[in-house]
Amino acid sequence: MKISVDHDRCEGHGLCAVQAPAVFDLDDDAHVVHQFEGGTVPPEHVEAARSAVNVCPVAALRELT
Amino acid sequence: MPRHPDVPAYAPDIYSTQAVLDPYPHYAKLRELGPVVWLPKHKVYALPRYAECKAVLLNDKTFTSGEGVALNSLTNRFSRGTTLNSDGEDHTGRRALVAHRLTPRALRTMKEAVECQAAEIVDAALARRDVDGVDIAEALPTAVVPDLVGWPQEQRKNLLSWGAATFDVLGPLNARAAAATFRGLGVMRFARGVVRRRSILPGSMGDDLLRAADEGKIARSECPALMIDYLVPSLDTTLSAIASALHLFATHPGQWQLLKNDPGLIPNAINEIVRYESPLRAFSRKVAEDTVLAGTALPAGSRVLVLYASANRDALEWENPDTFDIRRDASRQLGFGRGTHGCAGQGLARLEVQAILQALVARVEKIVPTGEPEWGLNNIIRRLHRLPLELVPA
Ligand code: HEM
Ligand code: SF4
Repeated sequence: MKISVDHDRCEGHGLCAVQAPAVFDLDDDAHVVHQFEGGTVPPEHVEAARSAVNVCPVAALRELT
Repeated sequence: MPRHPDVPAYAPDIYSTQAVLDPYPHYAKLRELGPVVWLPKHKVYALPRYAECKAVLLNDKTFTSGEGVALNSLTNRFSRGTTLNSDGEDHTGRRALVAHRLTPRALRTMKEAVECQAAEIVDAALARRDVDGVDIAEALPTAVVPDLVGWPQEQRKNLLSWGAATFDVLGPLNARAAAATFRGLGVMRFARGVVRRRSILPGSMGDDLLRAADEGKIARSECPALMIDYLVPSLDTTLSAIASALHLFATHPGQWQLLKNDPGLIPNAINEIVRYESPLRAFSRKVAEDTVLAGTALPAGSRVLVLYASANRDALEWENPDTFDIRRDASRQLGFGRGTHGCAGQGLARLEVQAILQALVARVEKIVPTGEPEWGLNNIIRRLHRLPLELVPA
């Protein structure tokens, strides 16, 4: 499973980082950092990553199949 | 727009005085009837369940805002030009202007000042001990937001009444909306005057907008509507959430104890408060092209009503939805909307509610109800109007 990030859309609300700290983080400018950007999310983090997609308030995260 | 014969209908007016004061039994009946329910009184398809509300909010191509999000065609015409009422590139441009000063990043520098103000408000309330929780709830948003927006000192006392009026006209065109229309126009007139006279506080968000107009990034004529985007949704909504928080913790002392024992629960408690007592009841969308939602055919030109407050109580999505529990993961609640139009001010709202709860948790042992709370009458905003409380110091 892969997740794409729309960096223009991200407003740095940080809810993703709370749901899936191993996958998402905020940098010093409060921009989202996706640890596996372009790659596959490891199976052990898939569930948390999905709930991050689910809570992003501006829908900046998208699950790719 | 006639309804499809297979779609269930719900005849009672969900904007009657009775329903506005006690909406949840109506929402429960709507959810029981089905995922899409025709409201003959308002000629709109209500979406009472979580899944369809979310799907519609995430599909802004089919379910559009540009022709208004009210149930009132008059308002839908008058409120063009705001971020709330726009689609596509128009929306992206306005949103970028409005949101960049409201992101958590931009708000960082304000955090300490807001926390100080919250502490002062709670200290003053504790000194009185017997308080109206609504006064506490009103104090922080009205101290923080007008300065941030740069609204001139004159006419600040009108802001709450203007805000409530603007929300009233976003519901159906009923007596409440009619009574509010004049006041609703007052805010627009004043915003135009502020832009014309440039009586905006320097360095504020409003000042940013005017400078963007100086640089030709936006037309000056767009500025008043964008000023309203900042002001109108930023007071009553946050006030509602803070007042509901006080009410919920007063009536759920066990939950207050949990929060005192672990203030780390505050961010999640905020989600649970906004889930349980969603400050915004509902907004609508116009269906741009023939589509099917949950098996129901919706013709182009019809309207759907996204009931945030009902989605947040949907048993198909939430376990024991009518139980207030700050330990549940409520982060997927829809009280701030979702997707393209997801609340641009939620960072600020969370900052304010967090600051008040932090100040309360540190100073207050118990919040004791001392009289019947009264709910306000507004088509869109659900908020307390009076909340007698005693604050027992820690
Ligand atoms: C607890 C407090 C708040 C709640 C529950 C709330 C709720 C919402 C909701 C549900 C929407 C989505 C509208 C839609 O789907 O069409 C929204 C949009 C918006 N909110 Fe809030 N809001 C709150 C506080 C604020 C504050 C403090 C501000 C500004 C300073 C603000 C500014 C906005 C703006 C500008 C939009 C329009 C965004 C867009 O259309 O792109 N809100 N809000
Ligand atoms: S939740 Fe969404 S907006 Fe917030 S930081 Fe993550 S990607 Fe950005």
